[in-house]
Amino acid sequence: MSAAREMLCDTARAVLSGATDIAPVEEAGFALLLVPEDEGGFGGDWSDAHAVLHIAGMAAPDLPVADLMLSGLGEVSLPYRAAATVSLMAGAMGQALSLSIDHVNTRQQFGRPLGKFQAVQQSLAVMACEVAAVEAAAAAMAARLDATGFDIDAASFEIAAAKLRANRAVGVVTAIAHQVHGAIGFTREYDLQRVTIPLMRWRGEHGNDAYWAQVLGRQVAGLGGRGLWESLTARTG
Amino acid sequence: MQGFALYPFDPPGDVAALRADLRGWLAANQPRGDVVKRANCWASFDADFSRALGAAGYVGMTLPARYGGGDRHPLERYVVIEELLAAGAPVGAHWIADRQTGPLILRYGSEAQRQRYLPGIAKGELYACIGLSEPGAGSDLAAVRTTARETSEGWRINGQKIWTTGAHLSHVILALVRTEEGSERNAGLSQLLVDLDTPGITIRPIIDMAGHHDFNEIFFDDVLVPHGALVGERGQGWKQVTAELGLERSGPERYLSSHALFVALIDAAGADPEPAVAGLIGELTAEIWTLRQLSMSTAAKLAAGEDPMVEASVVKELGNAFEQDMPRRVQAIVTSGWDDASDLAKLLRALLIASPSFSLRGGTREVIRGIIARGLGLR
Ligand SMILES: Cc1cc2nc3c(=O)[nH]c(=O)nc-3n(C[C@H](O)[C@H](O)[C@H](O)COP(=O)(O)OP(=O)(O)OC[C@H]3O[C@@H](n4cnc5c(N)ncnc54)[C@H](O)[C@@H]3O)c2cc1C
Repeated sequence: MSAAREMLCDTARAVLSGATDIAPVEEAGFALLLVPEDEGGFGGDWSDAHAVLHIAGMAAPDLPVADLMLSGLGEVSLPYRAAATVSLMAGAMGQALSLSIDHVNTRQQFGRPLGKFQAVQQSLAVMACEVAAVEAAAAAMAARLDATGFDIDAASFEIAAAKLRANRAVGVVTAIAHQVHGAIGFTREYDLQRVTIPLMRWRGEHGNDAYWAQVLGRQVAGLGGRGLWESLTARTG
Repeated sequence: MQGFALYPFDPPGDVAALRADLRGWLAANQPRGDVVKRANCWASFDADFSRALGAAGYVGMTLPARYGGGDRHPLERYVVIEELLAAGAPVGAHWIADRQTGPLILRYGSEAQRQRYLPGIAKGELYACIGLSEPGAGSDLAAVRTTARETSEGWRINGQKIWTTGAHLSHVILALVRTEEGSERNAGLSQLLVDLDTPGITIRPIIDMAGHHDFNEIFFDDVLVPHGALVGERGQGWKQVTAELGLERSGPERYLSSHALFVALIDAAGADPEPAVAGLIGELTAEIWTLRQLSMSTAAKLAAGEDPMVEASVVKELGNAFEQDMPRRVQAIVTSGWDDASDLAKLLRALLIASPSFSLRGGTREVIRGIIARGLGLR
């Protein structure tokens, strides 16, 4: 990660950790992140936005950070909102995984930490795979948006694929996170619901599974079987 | 394993030209025949094809030129193998030698072994098989009991290997054997490179549930091989094998085994598919695109000299689930009879039958999840 992005992330973590109100986030200037420098903004790229939103998804999933950031671009279409949501989802899923790992390493039953039981280990491995997939999808989508200069049409394939992949991970990730937590994870007080409820909400926002599956499926049908491979390889690598 | 940062996949040279050349070559040289051979194609043996591929410079690409290799970057090889797999090319004959035996000989082998084996591997003419599993040692590989005793004439091997893919068509086996008497578990193991025409070796076919003869059992009855058959260090077999296994779990073959079916599904659907079919194509596309990013990122990390053991296992776990689920999901929505003659029906049947093996070979799902759990700090 570049030094500039490290600094940006440090700022985002400082502002977003424990934030309960959007005002300080506004004051930090995140609405200007994606605005070009010659228009008075920070001229950040999409991968910068992804890094900040990832932190927002982890630390402040209830605040409208994505809306704030996109407001700098004026009126934006659904795919932009979907793209921003994917980054939030990646962050929130990472947080659900960390909470789960911490919990099973701490909570003891039958005289051992839960994490020593193979059934629990296997569940968390499944969850970690889903989180890794969403992390990769979000980062690759951001890279594509940067490579195309935020051209939403040129990146429509990646946005559709990334939002769909993230949506499909929500069920697995929230189910396993809650299962390994037991009753404590079902309380309002415990932090888990702070990320799992937003994940449930985001799955249905800016295109649910069926919506993006149709968009992507029809696009690929137009490419044909061999055309899909040619398109995949022309887009990355 | 917190976070999965994408590692940039950046092969040297003109990748677009590399792809275009290979696609042109395949258009002229890939056998047209049976569409089913395109499914799970890294299990399709075709020595003529492997030889032609080797002559065209697409085998042993990363080996040094002095051993007949191509001196190419590992990510150039990655590009080539993903193209071959996506095209359903019959790469099974040379697959193991090219993927792991050749690189392992280069890394751990003696100069004599390199000179003897690598040129043939790079030509696509010398094939290798993996001698790990035994009747009593499956997931629990450290239970290996085949022994090799050092004598003045060389190593004397006794015991049995099983599930050895392609042994009947291969020239050598890289066998994990117990060289230290009285040793237990993962101590006292070594790797021996054994020519399969050595007296005392018996190879018997095991027919798989698809009716194919791919794997075998191999008996070693007082087999004498030279001292020079030892690969790497005596007693370090476990370390060498785990490196070999761990690093070969993230390749594109871990998610592309059913790709021919996906191609057939898309082609059968036409440009204006019904919603259920469009939806499935969309879901599978989201998966394959994501898996490709994960696999490329892991390959790039490997090429940079890192050791992404956990990432590689994530690719295998997700990739195997994808290629294994695909035939089931396709069957759930397309109307086709078990014995229909369409490409789609033939591929579907072949892959429904082949796919249980996808989460067994190369480490079972449960073993792979265990490795990931260890990476999470749970074991
Ligand atoms: C198509 C195919 C090709 C193969 N080719 C080769 C080859 O070329 N060379 C070679 O050496 N081997 C090869 N194998 C063998 C393969 O490596 C083994 O099948 C695999 O390691 C599992 O061993 P096993 O079959 O004895 O199953 P077992 O180890 O008996 O396992 C059976 C089931 O129990 C589960 N299990 C076992 N132990 C545990 C545990 N501790 N906790 C939880 N679950 C557990 C396993 O995950 C699995 O689901 C091949 C296998 C297949 C299917």
